[in-house]
Amino acid sequence: MDFTTFLSQLNDALIAENGANLAYLLRPTSPHGKNFVKEFRNPPPTQESLERNYKGSIQSPWDEIAIKYVLVCYNVARRRPQDAYREHSALVQAFSRRYFTENRGWTLPALFSLLRDLRDLAFDADFYAKYNGQKSECMEDAARKIADAFTNCVTDRISPPDQSRKWGVYYVVGLVLKSYFRLRRISLSKNILRALEVHRDIPALSQFPRSHQVTFRYYLGMIHFLNEDHAKAEEELTLAFYHCHVEAHSNQERILAYLLPLRLLKGHLPSDELMQRFPTLSEIFMPFVDAIRLGDVTAFDQALEQRGSKLVDLNLMLTMERAREVCLRGLFRRVWVASDKNNRIPIPMFHCALRISGIDVDQEEAECLVANQIYKGFMRGYISHEKQMVVLANINAFPRLADRPNPLNML
Amino acid sequence: MSTAASSSNSKPKTQEKPKVEEKKEDVKPRLGVLEEDDEFEEFAAADWDDSQTDLAHLGGTVPGAAKSGGDKLWEDNWDDDDIEDEFSMQLRQVLTIQNELVKTGKGNAMEH
Repeated sequence: MDFTTFLSQLNDALIAENGANLAYLLRPTSPHGKNFVKEFRNPPPTQESLERNYKGSIQSPWDEIAIKYVLVCYNVARRRPQDAYREHSALVQAFSRRYFTENRGWTLPALFSLLRDLRDLAFDADFYAKYNGQKSECMEDAARKIADAFTNCVTDRISPPDQSRKWGVYYVVGLVLKSYFRLRRISLSKNILRALEVHRDIPALSQFPRSHQVTFRYYLGMIHFLNEDHAKAEEELTLAFYHCHVEAHSNQERILAYLLPLRLLKGHLPSDELMQRFPTLSEIFMPFVDAIRLGDVTAFDQALEQRGSKLVDLNLMLTMERAREVCLRGLFRRVWVASDKNNRIPIPMFHCALRISGIDVDQEEAECLVANQIYKGFMRGYISHEKQMVVLANINAFPRLADRPNPLNML
Repeated sequence: MSTAASSSNSKPKTQEKPKVEEKKEDVKPRLGVLEEDDEFEEFAAADWDDSQTDLAHLGGTVPGAAKSGGDKLWEDNWDDDDIEDEFSMQLRQVLTIQNELVKTGKGNAMEH
């Protein structure tokens, strides 16, 4: 395809309102992009030279967009990521301000593709700059532009509901959040999440394509997770996991990496079947799961130590430290089982159990650990401090973990 | 373009198709290493139905319940009263000693 054919195909896509084709035509990785690099090799293309020949060749702003597209491809081929970003950013600007907002939702596939490329090019530009010891803030800029696109989607008050630009809302929010996570500026998410709440005329999330739902729920779940709102995090990540395409393996793995520890806290252990599907996660988490099953606190502590740096990297250390309580419950439950489920068990018995399993604490500390377990609802009963006796409930002394009220808030 | 850009661009067409499109790759367990900086990936298809998700095996129950709630991916009934290992043995020994102590203690108390 030469550039003239490209222009006429662009024009056809606009007339036919074919968003998917439009997206394809404007993607720097499409085959015609490479053709143009050859076509305009000598002399190298510039804004001026291209404008001289092609301005007004099709309806505005598409002549300008087509010119920018050539410059993006040229700079990508020349490995000048920062210039590529700048040109693409101008292209997006022209598209957003002078076409997207004037039209109905049929252009959304093009918007998605352009914003995705914007973010990817920003990533490359910043990466390249960092490598060369330069400062570069393309990702910040991209995040702002993507957030602007969100506004352009959400404020569509004219298009009929089924053709609304509002159908772009969750995909675009997903991209914004992805950018904030990359920048490690997660607190910025607040604004966009609030905007989602304020605009009550956005269709329900469940009506959007699953890819939009899952991506949005993953990031929302992660935000709750990082804010230590475990219950909400578990809810969102559960939905993300179960609605995710099973062949999108690394996405499912990523969701599960955070869902699994939350489920441990709740007393839901992953089945073998689940772990076989995710060997990487199995490698990280199975030692903890086995330790919880056996109430083997020492094995749990060893796993914490061995996997510590990985857990810290993944922001999972705190959660796994909390899961130790679940393991401790298992240990104390075994004391109870060994005592023939007697409802009166002397503190020294718990103390001995701790020592046998390699936890070197004094008796007072053992008493304190028991008190904590009772307080958190892992055991039901009370401690007679004078008699150094734990008096357990006759019925349901160790409730099933999943049955604790608010299991994720009592940790 | 670097890997980040090309990876999401290499399978783009499906994004626009409103209806299901399956990836051709086999599902093999990947032994990749989970990294903090990994990103949530662009999906190959925009939309899909229940049969291509983990909702499929639930038979209408709530996702993420557990085995007792019909979800085979999670176990919520795993308390085991019959673990036989060294720890159990040692525990029982301690218990016997404790009981002896209590008995002798009681015995003494009654004698006086």
